[in-house]
Amino acid sequence: MSHNDTIPLYQSSQSDIDEIENMMNQEFQSGPGTVLPARPPSPIRPSIPVTSSPFVQSNLPPLPPPSSSSQKVTSVPVPPSLPPPSSGNFGGGSDGKTIGGSGFGPPPNTLTEPVWDTVKRDLARIVSNLKLVVFPNPNREDPGKALRDWDLWGPFFFIVFLGLTLSWSASVKKSEVFAVAFALLAAGAVILTLNVLLLGGHIIFFQSLSLLGYCLFPLDVGAVICMLKDNVILKMIVVCVTLAWSSWAAYPFMSAAVNPRRKALALYPVFLMYVSVGFLIIAID
Amino acid sequence: MDPSQPPVENYANPNTCLFHVLFKGAALAFYILSALFFNSFVIIFVVTVLLAALDFWVVKNVSGRILVGLRWWNEIDDLGESVWKFESLDQESLARMNKKDSWLFWWTLYLAAAAWLILGVFSLIRFQADYLLVVGVCLSLNVANIIGFTKCKKDAKKQFQQFASQTIASRFQSTVQSAFTLV
Repeated sequence: MSHNDTIPLYQSSQSDIDEIENMMNQEFQSGPGTVLPARPPSPIRPSIPVTSSPFVQSNLPPLPPPSSSSQKVTSVPVPPSLPPPSSGNFGGGSDGKTIGGSGFGPPPNTLTEPVWDTVKRDLARIVSNLKLVVFPNPNREDPGKALRDWDLWGPFFFIVFLGLTLSWSASVKKSEVFAVAFALLAAGAVILTLNVLLLGGHIIFFQSLSLLGYCLFPLDVGAVICMLKDNVILKMIVVCVTLAWSSWAAYPFMSAAVNPRRKALALYPVFLMYVSVGFLIIAID
Repeated sequence: MDPSQPPVENYANPNTCLFHVLFKGAALAFYILSALFFNSFVIIFVVTVLLAALDFWVVKNVSGRILVGLRWWNEIDDLGESVWKFESLDQESLARMNKKDSWLFWWTLYLAAAAWLILGVFSLIRFQADYLLVVGVCLSLNVANIIGFTKCKKDAKKQFQQFASQTIASRFQSTVQSAFTLV
């Protein structure tokens, strides 16, 4: 590995034999183990053409200053122009090719991208997940495909928002209301997922948590409306409508995950949890 | 954080290091000090958990990339199975990473988790279930990052060893080829 004992900052540091070998390599094979470090010279951080799908965690508020430290790398040449992987050091690089191409455009060079890009990508993911889960769309028949790109930020914000709304509506014991709402929803989501897994269903833990969190969105809307208008009849109607909406949103994913004979066993607890949240919303005064 | 130590290399990315430490420290400080100022548990909970979540995102997406050149995430493949993906810079860039940066990265990660653990023990002793909830959430976020990055580092080492042996094999092959053609 003579290429790695001196750090090749400049291509002129290669010896002649290496150059001949490189030329022969390029003729003979374009396979793995290309010895030519096909990187642009003197990058601040080398750009690795990694093929990978977008990431899991995302965030809502942008972070202004970190982007200044990463703006330096925006001048590094764009990855797709580089030849295929110059070093094999990315886990699942070849898997990433197949996945990365499935609907997210050309796979981004995520290891050296500017921070703002990460933030925007994660925000876009939250919005798209929300649309997939809560609003009618053609992908609902295939639940595995729909929430393939799960993230937990959306659910986190919805749960916190619901807790805050309930807490705000309450005139006494605000802290308890918030704690109860948060614990109920978080523990409830975990237990419901375990329920499906124990029923022999095929569901991925975080995907299910993500789904149950996103399905809280209608109840969030309902809670806000109930907070603004204090009429009991109106509250009941609003809660019933949003409850039906939440259950409708959660139904295809949960029912597809289990054996058809056990569908009711899997769906009933979900419905129960949403009903109890609905009662919390109505009962808060 | 010392910004200048002339005989030793400085932090290569002081801004990133700052943010890496900032949110962790802010979450811990807010949690510890808030009891003095705020009566409301809700505010303490929301702000602490929000800071912890921001810290999780910063560490996972920004400082992990920039300070140690690692990244991890989870994907669901076409068969519906969950796959953990790890990504790292190549060995040369990893070797070129600033030692101080990576030292800071790993040590603050461990120290923050230890601090949350201690705070959790305190709230357990005082039988405060709701504060235990806060500590539990923050601790799980920290631990998730630790596990993710440790796995990523191990995977990077394994990848590099595989690549090294592959490169040696192909170099040997090309040397033999060149020997035969030149002779």
